[in-house]
Amino acid sequence: MREKILQAEKDFNNEIILVNDLKKLEDFRIKFLSRKGIISQLFEEFKEVSNEVKREVGKLLNNLKNNCNTSFDELKTKLEANAESYGAKIDLSLPEYEKDYGSPHILIQTLNQIKSIFKSLGFSVYEGPELESDYNNFTALNFPDDHPARDMQDTFFINENFLLRTHTSPVQIRLMQNKKPPLRAIMPGKVYRNEAVSAKSYCLFHQVEGLYIDKDVTFTELKGTLVYFAKQLYGQDLVYRFRPSFFPFTEPSAEMDIWWQPKGKEGRWLEILGCGMVDPNVLINVGIDPEIYTGYAFGMGVERMTLRKYGISDIRTLFDNDLRFLKQF
Amino acid sequence: MKVSLNWLNDYIDIKNIPATEIAEKLSKCGLEVEELVDNNAKYNNIVVGYVKECAKHPNADKLSVCIVTNGKEDFTVVCGAPNVAAGQKVAFAKIGAIIPNGNFEIKKAKIRGQESFGMICAEDELGLSDDHSGIMVLSEDSVLDMPIAEALGIGDVEIEISITPNRSDALSHFGVARDLASLYNLEFKKPKFEIPECGKKTSDVAHVIIQDEDLCPRYVAKVVEGITIKESPDWLKRRLKAVGLRPINNVVDVTNYILYEIGQPLHAFDLKMLEEKTIIVRRAGNINKIVTLDSKERNLLPNDLLICDKGKPVAVAGVMGGENSEVTLTTTDVLIESAYFNPSSIRKTSKKLGLSSDSSYRFERGCDPNITRYAAERAAYLIQQVAGGTILDGVIDVYPNKIEPKSTFLRYERLNKVLGFNIEKERADSILTKLGFNILEKSDDKITVEIPTFRPDVEREIDLIEEVGRIYGYDNIPTIEKISVILDEKIDQSAYNDELRTLMCGAGFYEIVTNSLLNETTANKFGKAIKMFNPLSAEMSHLRPTLLPGGLMTVSNNLKVRQKNLKLFEIGHVFERLHDGELKEFSDFTEYDKLNLLITGKSLDSVWYSKDKNYDIFDLKGYVKQIFSKISLDIFKNDLYYFTNEINWEYGFKIEVNGKVLGIGGKVKKEILHMFEIDQELFSFELNLDFIKNINKKGRNFKELNKFPSVFRDFAFVLEKNIEYIAIIETIFKGSSKLLRDVKLFDIFESDTLGENKRSLAFQLEYYNEERTLTEEEVEKDFWKTIEFVKKEFNAELRGK
Repeated sequence: MREKILQAEKDFNNEIILVNDLKKLEDFRIKFLSRKGIISQLFEEFKEVSNEVKREVGKLLNNLKNNCNTSFDELKTKLEANAESYGAKIDLSLPEYEKDYGSPHILIQTLNQIKSIFKSLGFSVYEGPELESDYNNFTALNFPDDHPARDMQDTFFINENFLLRTHTSPVQIRLMQNKKPPLRAIMPGKVYRNEAVSAKSYCLFHQVEGLYIDKDVTFTELKGTLVYFAKQLYGQDLVYRFRPSFFPFTEPSAEMDIWWQPKGKEGRWLEILGCGMVDPNVLINVGIDPEIYTGYAFGMGVERMTLRKYGISDIRTLFDNDLRFLKQF
Repeated sequence: MKVSLNWLNDYIDIKNIPATEIAEKLSKCGLEVEELVDNNAKYNNIVVGYVKECAKHPNADKLSVCIVTNGKEDFTVVCGAPNVAAGQKVAFAKIGAIIPNGNFEIKKAKIRGQESFGMICAEDELGLSDDHSGIMVLSEDSVLDMPIAEALGIGDVEIEISITPNRSDALSHFGVARDLASLYNLEFKKPKFEIPECGKKTSDVAHVIIQDEDLCPRYVAKVVEGITIKESPDWLKRRLKAVGLRPINNVVDVTNYILYEIGQPLHAFDLKMLEEKTIIVRRAGNINKIVTLDSKERNLLPNDLLICDKGKPVAVAGVMGGENSEVTLTTTDVLIESAYFNPSSIRKTSKKLGLSSDSSYRFERGCDPNITRYAAERAAYLIQQVAGGTILDGVIDVYPNKIEPKSTFLRYERLNKVLGFNIEKERADSILTKLGFNILEKSDDKITVEIPTFRPDVEREIDLIEEVGRIYGYDNIPTIEKISVILDEKIDQSAYNDELRTLMCGAGFYEIVTNSLLNETTANKFGKAIKMFNPLSAEMSHLRPTLLPGGLMTVSNNLKVRQKNLKLFEIGHVFERLHDGELKEFSDFTEYDKLNLLITGKSLDSVWYSKDKNYDIFDLKGYVKQIFSKISLDIFKNDLYYFTNEINWEYGFKIEVNGKVLGIGGKVKKEILHMFEIDQELFSFELNLDFIKNINKKGRNFKELNKFPSVFRDFAFVLEKNIEYIAIIETIFKGSSKLLRDVKLFDIFESDTLGENKRSLAFQLEYYNEERTLTEEEVEKDFWKTIEFVKKEFNAELRGK
């Protein structure tokens, strides 16, 4: 008898787990708790039990009955509550109401990531005009007249005095003219290049340049700062290299490459930014003594970083502003 | 520029350094390698073999069966060449080799019943020539099993380098070799050669006069007589091909060879075609035309520098030779020009003619004025090697003002201060010496060096610091791990715009970034647009005077891809001229930061839970009001002006403060929408952010929250239709006490039953007292006073309350 009771308890516990709606619950009730159910039958059998064990078995049987009733009632309450909110009243699988959240343009999102990394290092953010003077864009930045260096920056001219800036460096000039060192700032903004529009290049793009002028600013600090930046942006396991390059406004000049290996493709070095120590001529042009102060500068293109980051192959996609594109970001 | 490793190896011993390592080193010293092509790979599994035995094929007359050995193993090979014989050393392609010419793989084969385990190659199969008459027989001293590329010296590695504009010296094998010498601390060996005297002097045969010394500081000429123009030998052709040049004839090939070897552009004239065998270097002046080597007639300007003979122009100096004096198959005597021209002059002429050559490319970046004589002599020496003839003694060297090397100093302390760590003095000295900088003076704290004339980019101490840094290797310069932050004021001039972005995105707008360049018609339609001097195309000739056209183009493009419901904004600069004259000062034009928002299509599409709804002007008004409220500019009420039919808008509103329009917009006119092929209603509003940022903002103050319950009263009036809502609101406030806190319009009803030209407006009035709970009586009193006032003011009829 004792075994039968324990078995019934076991069965009850095993089967109640499988009950997940009111219909199954009723079947379950009939099987275990109805007048002809398993527990009632056990009570029938109990009548036959010998007196010596009656007390003990009776206790067991009552326990079983109570436990089963409690469990059953709990489950019943739960399933009924569910049925009320779920059940036939509401079809929750209907499509949700349309809710549209906007988003900043993907270029601005990248730009904001860049800005926030440098702001965390104590950089200010300065902006300036896109229609600039030839002096601020070239001459002050140590681009000699009629030098091949100007070829690197195919320029949209308005006339001989004004042009669409080819980099945000003129903002550096404006800043250095108006503020004494120490200066630590980045300059984001649109710049223009007179290049045919194609999948690879567009006539305008966004650039972020940075500048730090103080006593004892060194190349090692430039490296440290840019490595920190790149790791924040691309991940801590980044593989990188610094390679000498040439810019009229920095000396020594360098470019930073990162090792880029998209899944399933061959890896290669990709240039992510140009940088260097501010050329003494530039400092002299803005009235800063290069014997006392040194500085570094760097610049990077936001479009290229964005294309790479999201695997976009055609730069024009960024400027088409197709809603289906905008909604993805 | 392309360089060949075999060629570099002539000047510096780099045979044992892997090509990939060299490429990486070059990149890291500033000569960025763009591509590396290793030709050795083309000859994998092709080695020097020895034909031990050679017998007739039992089943084919023309075939032989050979036993070829590589010294370790014997292979049976069926060969079809007539000249194959025992005892020959041959190029043996083992199984697995890919034959360079034809690109097929050698496999084990059965030829006429005879198994064959490889192939003996002919010259054409190795891509060495067109010769397929028989197998290539190698010299007897060829080493067995040596890779054929090595044995024949054909396994070159070609490296494409991107040279920055400052490094004119690196546009040659000399220059690249010098950097490698410094990188590896090796010896750079300039080729030495001897030219025997012949007894006849160059200066007796030819003459050189420089008329314009400013544009041509030096002109060296050398003559070789009695040469034979023909195809160049294989070694020369191979070298030129390796750097991407097409061989032409032996003399021209030598001049190109020198250009790529030394970096000195040369020109070879047919001496007999030069009138009076005289070279005159002069400005074009009244000569206005020349036909260049490429058979094109070129128009000249008076300041273009020409090479002339006694009667005619024979070359555009430094850019391209003339057709009338070029070296042809019948040429026997050549005059080799090796000159130094003013870089800026060459650049101007080349740019103006739209003609860039290997020569002009180097001259305009700056060549070495002091290598010209060596280059002329070396060219003469090589011409004699490949074309025979006699080299006349001496050179003509017109060099009126010798360009002496400059000098500068390097302070070790400064070097370490700029780089931020200590480079040993000896290391710095050796780097510079290997690059060609002679140390003139040395003390404990500094050195003075002579700057070689092939490095016009180096002038100052900082330039030397870069030289040391780049050869030392930027990657070897430590990266510091800690920086200090200056505790000064931090400014973020972009913060305001970013706040606006957050605001707009929160309202469900997507940001767009459009081109600032427009075509003339569009640009001028929207303002006094600024024209560009050198536009990319007519489609992008003017700067945008407003953001609206860019937005409209975006809408137009989206409609084409069936994206019809749009809520977009753009933040960007716009440009406008302030007068029609020339732009000389910044004050002649303006550049503003603007925000444009536009909505078009449906605010709610037809969906299962609702009917659709189009955007209309009140959506626009709502968004604009929210923007102004969120940026703490509560000027909205008093400075809002409504208009109909203004420039771009059929109707709309603007916000004007102190005569400055902070924002304007409305429903865009149909005619404008048609320009952009937009066939649905569109509402747009443009804010002038520069004005808004400059307005003294009051900022927000906290307003105490209601502590007591408000009391609400509703009423509806029937009024003349032409009475504006805003007038009614003002009247309601005027007719009420201070207890009236807010009025809300909750219904507009129009019906014939109300009477002609009438409408009913239903309002809810909210009463509130900051100090106590209002009593029904005082509200009732106030409410009725208001009703009476409105009734009287507008002759309105109370419809219900």
